[in-house]
Amino acid sequence: MSKNLVNLNINPCKMCMPMGTANAFYGIQKCMNILHGSQGCSTYIRRHMATHYNEPVDIASSSLTEEGTVYGGEKNLIIGLENLIKLYQPEVIGVSTTCLAETIGEDIEFIIKNFYASHPDETVKIIPVKSAGYGGTQFEGFTRALRAIVSHVEMDTAKHNTINIISSMISPADTRYLKDVLDQFGLDYILLPDLSENLDGVHQSSYYRLPMHGTPISEIQKMAGARATIELSDTIKPDESPGVYLYENYGVPYKRLNLPMGLRDTDALMELLSELSKKAIPEKIVKERGRYLDGMVDSHKYNALGRIAIFGEPDFVVSAVRLCCENGVMPVIAATGSACPQLKEKIEAELSKLADVLFVDNYVILNDVDFETIEAEALRLGANLMLGNSDGRRIEEKHGIPLIRCAFPIHDRIGGQRVRTLGYEGSQVLLDQITNTILKTVEGGFRETLYNTYYNEGPKSKYGLEPETEAQMKVLEYKKTTDPLTPQAQTIEEKTANHPCYSCGASQKNARMHLPIAPKCNIQCNYCVRKFDCPNESRPGVTTDILSPEAAFEKYKLVKEKVPNLTVVGIAGPGDALANFEQTRKALTLIHEHDPNVTFCVSTNGLMLPYYAKELAKLGVSHVTVTVNAVDPAIGAKIYKHVDFMGNRYHGEAAASILLANQLSGIKLLIDEGVIVKINTVTLMGINDTHIEEVVKTVKDMGCFISNVMPLIPVKGSAFEGLKIATNREINAIRDKCGVHLKQMYHCKQCRADAIGKLDSDISLDFRENEARSESKTIVSPKGLRFAITSKGGMLVDQHFGQASELYIYDYLDDEVQFKEKRVIGKYCSGEEECDEKEDKIGTILKALNDCDGTITMRIGDLPTKRLESKGIKVFTTYDRIEDAVKTAAQEILKSELRTAGNF
Amino acid sequence: MKNDAAILPERAQSIRFSECSGDGIKCESASVSGAVSQRACVYCGARVVLNPITDAFHLVHGPIGCASYTWDIRGSLSSGEEGYRNSYSTDLRETDVIFGGEKKLVAAIDEIMASHAPKVIFIYATCIVGVIGDDIDAVCRNAEAKYGIRVIAVKSPGFSGTKKTGYKMACNAIMSLVTPDVLPEKTCGVNILGDFNLAGEMWIIKNYLRRIGVEVVANITGDAKVEDLKQAPTAQLNLVQCAGSMTYLAKQMEEAFSIPFIKVSFFGVTDTSDSLMRIAYAVGDKDVIKRAKAFIEEEKNRVIPLLNKYRKNLEGKKAAIYVGGGFKAISLIRQFHEFGMNTVMVGTQTGSKDDYEVISHLVDEDAVILDDANPAELEAFMKEMGADILVGGVKERPLAYKLGVAFCDHNHERKHPLAGYEGTLNFASEINLSMNSPVWEIIGGINNV
Repeated sequence: MSKNLVNLNINPCKMCMPMGTANAFYGIQKCMNILHGSQGCSTYIRRHMATHYNEPVDIASSSLTEEGTVYGGEKNLIIGLENLIKLYQPEVIGVSTTCLAETIGEDIEFIIKNFYASHPDETVKIIPVKSAGYGGTQFEGFTRALRAIVSHVEMDTAKHNTINIISSMISPADTRYLKDVLDQFGLDYILLPDLSENLDGVHQSSYYRLPMHGTPISEIQKMAGARATIELSDTIKPDESPGVYLYENYGVPYKRLNLPMGLRDTDALMELLSELSKKAIPEKIVKERGRYLDGMVDSHKYNALGRIAIFGEPDFVVSAVRLCCENGVMPVIAATGSACPQLKEKIEAELSKLADVLFVDNYVILNDVDFETIEAEALRLGANLMLGNSDGRRIEEKHGIPLIRCAFPIHDRIGGQRVRTLGYEGSQVLLDQITNTILKTVEGGFRETLYNTYYNEGPKSKYGLEPETEAQMKVLEYKKTTDPLTPQAQTIEEKTANHPCYSCGASQKNARMHLPIAPKCNIQCNYCVRKFDCPNESRPGVTTDILSPEAAFEKYKLVKEKVPNLTVVGIAGPGDALANFEQTRKALTLIHEHDPNVTFCVSTNGLMLPYYAKELAKLGVSHVTVTVNAVDPAIGAKIYKHVDFMGNRYHGEAAASILLANQLSGIKLLIDEGVIVKINTVTLMGINDTHIEEVVKTVKDMGCFISNVMPLIPVKGSAFEGLKIATNREINAIRDKCGVHLKQMYHCKQCRADAIGKLDSDISLDFRENEARSESKTIVSPKGLRFAITSKGGMLVDQHFGQASELYIYDYLDDEVQFKEKRVIGKYCSGEEECDEKEDKIGTILKALNDCDGTITMRIGDLPTKRLESKGIKVFTTYDRIEDAVKTAAQEILKSELRTAGNF
Repeated sequence: MKNDAAILPERAQSIRFSECSGDGIKCESASVSGAVSQRACVYCGARVVLNPITDAFHLVHGPIGCASYTWDIRGSLSSGEEGYRNSYSTDLRETDVIFGGEKKLVAAIDEIMASHAPKVIFIYATCIVGVIGDDIDAVCRNAEAKYGIRVIAVKSPGFSGTKKTGYKMACNAIMSLVTPDVLPEKTCGVNILGDFNLAGEMWIIKNYLRRIGVEVVANITGDAKVEDLKQAPTAQLNLVQCAGSMTYLAKQMEEAFSIPFIKVSFFGVTDTSDSLMRIAYAVGDKDVIKRAKAFIEEEKNRVIPLLNKYRKNLEGKKAAIYVGGGFKAISLIRQFHEFGMNTVMVGTQTGSKDDYEVISHLVDEDAVILDDANPAELEAFMKEMGADILVGGVKERPLAYKLGVAFCDHNHERKHPLAGYEGTLNFASEINLSMNSPVWEIIGGINNV
């Protein structure tokens, strides 16, 4: 089944060799790495390492150019080494080749020899690694750098009692753990490499750009005299292995182990360390082992539900598979992007044994694979969990298979440098993550799963499997049969379908008009300041002019003519429609008589609803929006400053109680009349945000049609001016919660009280009569002025007149600056020479400027200034935004004109 | 503090310490070997510009690294297809390098065509393809003949210039894609050039244009679809946002399709408002102008009070900037200015001479200006100038943190929009929350002990 295409890698499950070398060199003390190749390689690698380790990562590049590629890069590399030494004063430099250097056949050893020859005093140790990107992955690159290090450092063969530990690519935290274990056994050791400090540094008052920690060269020199080597990698080829190199050249015996993850591979390391140190395994470690065993038992039943896809470097895959298998988590995919044919042989028996126990039919071991294949296999084999680096996140995102990030690189989470997987403790940390990820799925979904599987008494609406339509259907039927009063050409369903606020589809095509006829309000919400009538804010309760019912009717007719898709007329304030009921009634009657097909809607705070609900229905109002922010007077008391009812002003809970009681009985009356009721709720963070669901439940039970949970629009001067505003995400989370109970409106645009048009294009400005003009002391010119501007970017006056090859033409009229056009001219000045020809050029430019009153430029010479001014074109030099510069220049011209006229 | 140790002699001309350190800044040149430049390469430049085209396939011809490191690299969003988020590579190996990669490339195209129906495939030629001499033009020609779709070569070997060369290669590829046989009639729409829909910014800009009644023909390249791109020649006007990458394309389009262009910026309240007005006037429709004015007023009234809240926390602080292009650096300096903040260090990877001249006018005389800086310089000057926050990309973030400097990610991996009015609020919020985080009090306390 594996698609694994031969010629195409889709979504690589690997990186390239230089990435591995860069990581390895970061574990050497006072070492810098330079990549011999083009600039991008080092930058990409730095970027990837920086996000994983959250540390500054400095890697140099010889920045090969076309020339270096053709004639050889020796010069570049030597300059690179010199510069690197100047900037960082390293003791060691790792020179890694790249695809490019290897392809053009650079002889690095030779170049380094030349470097030392021409820099006889230089003591820096230069270590070259052949690491063409096409020669292997970061996994091979890492070991290859280590092998290059041990084979280039001058070895001291004197025997001593130290052991060598050569690690695979493990995290800084795991490296520290490893050192701690070695210390517990009281062993003298040389750890190669040691990136525990350089890539997970402590915060210090002074920062050193040169990595100060890691394995020093003086230690590496002693590796040839060690009594043994432990290599924590059992999948690298012998001829790439640094341990094998030390054995073959210096006779240091070696043992290769799997990465110590899981019980058995950690046991192997501990036993070996015990043997080498001739000490029993320390009590602390024995206890850790015991706790891991205990943890394995605790979680075994949950773990059996896991079908895990493991991907990454071969060492990691082998040990992770073994950890999963011993815990009964079935790896259905074990995949590496490296070419590692021996992977199968190392894990096949484990997998097949567990598969038999759990009756798992199928699993795959994939070698030299890409993520396209892993993705397809994960779906085919039903993986419910992934383990590896963050490159699996696209599969997680696409198919919802959770990914546990525990290998390099991790780009989308913090803490890559602190990942723990080694030893009994690390294994426990990893196992807990695996188990908890499984538990999260189970715990989070079992109610829903069981309900959907077994509940069969009615529509399965609780988790949205089937739409809940009954309640609303009842309302619609009722209306159809019992409203003889107003003959309606459209049924209420049609009206609802055509109403832009109630139907998302209609919001795209149908227009609505809000009539600002209701100035007064009978309650004071803490989020509202009614004294400001701002023509430029778009939010409920804001409008420019209050219209009389007659004027509103005239306006309706005018708009209907120009906007034929006008289907809805609403009254939304700016106060409360029912606090101004006389006006509301009058306007609705007038329009209804003129056009019985219009859908009327009214929005209200609901205070007066019990008194007018029936009449509204009679007037043909089919939709009413009631703003209900709370169904608990204690919460309501925080939202409403006061309520004016029957000639009294109520405060606090008393006010909120009256309002609530009236809202609920009013809504009930409306629904009995067959009116569609929408509930608006303003989200007030910290006040009613957790209460909204309760509001929605309550109104749903009464038979409301839709709920609109809105964000707060903070208004300056209101009591809630400083209240935290809910984010879209928070609003949508609340809507999602409420959506379980009642249909939610996701497309609300929070219209102005005099909005006209479709929801997303308010064209009311076009119909407004008295647009407020800001009064200022600027002189308004009877005639327009025209300016030519020199600008490089078209944003600023930022160009020398002589350098301009085009002019931006702006007009100034009524204190407004308008971009007119761009005019192409020849450059007036093309350098120091050919000044004789300038005469002709400036002539051409003058022609291009002959309709201009002024020119605005950053700098200009004397000669062109004189020529321009002789033509009556004023010259202004400035450095400013174009719009501002034009205004300033225009004012100057106008003022001087006034002066000359003697009026100033 | 002396910075001699941090500045290589070859780099001195690319750094301006003060007004009197000479005329102009050395820029648009190759990086200095061994200097630890923050720049990427030609291929990267080409890929970041083309990658947001959502229904295009991006096949990287070369060894695996280039495809691996640029897989889904930009946070550019799509309203439709997600194919562009995959990374296709011919994954060249040792033998391919010896015997040539052409066959593998041909076969790779066949494999893509066998399982997908791409509208266009971009073939990126990386470093070694430039060296081993694969004739990718011929491969593309044959593939076009065989499958009847566009297969466009993007020659972007890393060594063939800077990231900016890559932008040009990408612009050429776009021109090749959109150039029609016969010039179509103009419509009243505009194209948006140089927004990559990072965190939905293209959508924000399009919402604004919709509000003021300006139609958009093609988005180049954020959330772009091939069919929409092909309509680009019908536009009456090009709006150029990212000037560094797209002026080249705008000029070509001006010449070939007679579409004039204006430059716009949607970073900061003033730039956004000015740009909208400029667009409205350029379109020239009275209603559009009227709506633009109303919309800008409305947005300003909404946003400025909120910004003023932040302002008191930001005023008087010092900002350092190190970003990719000059356009962004200039926008950022202005935004900081709006917050009452002073920019004390500013550098770019690919800024032009013109950009640096503008920058030098915008900042104080003693501000440091850098082209193609390295970590040593960034460290030295951030310390010397006492920067409170650095705006940069992910590589610069850990350095800032090590130095105890706050950080704002203005790179293509950001997850919240920084453009438009809402973006300005996000930007102010991010600056505030990083710069005024309680951790600095503690860190500062430790350092002072």
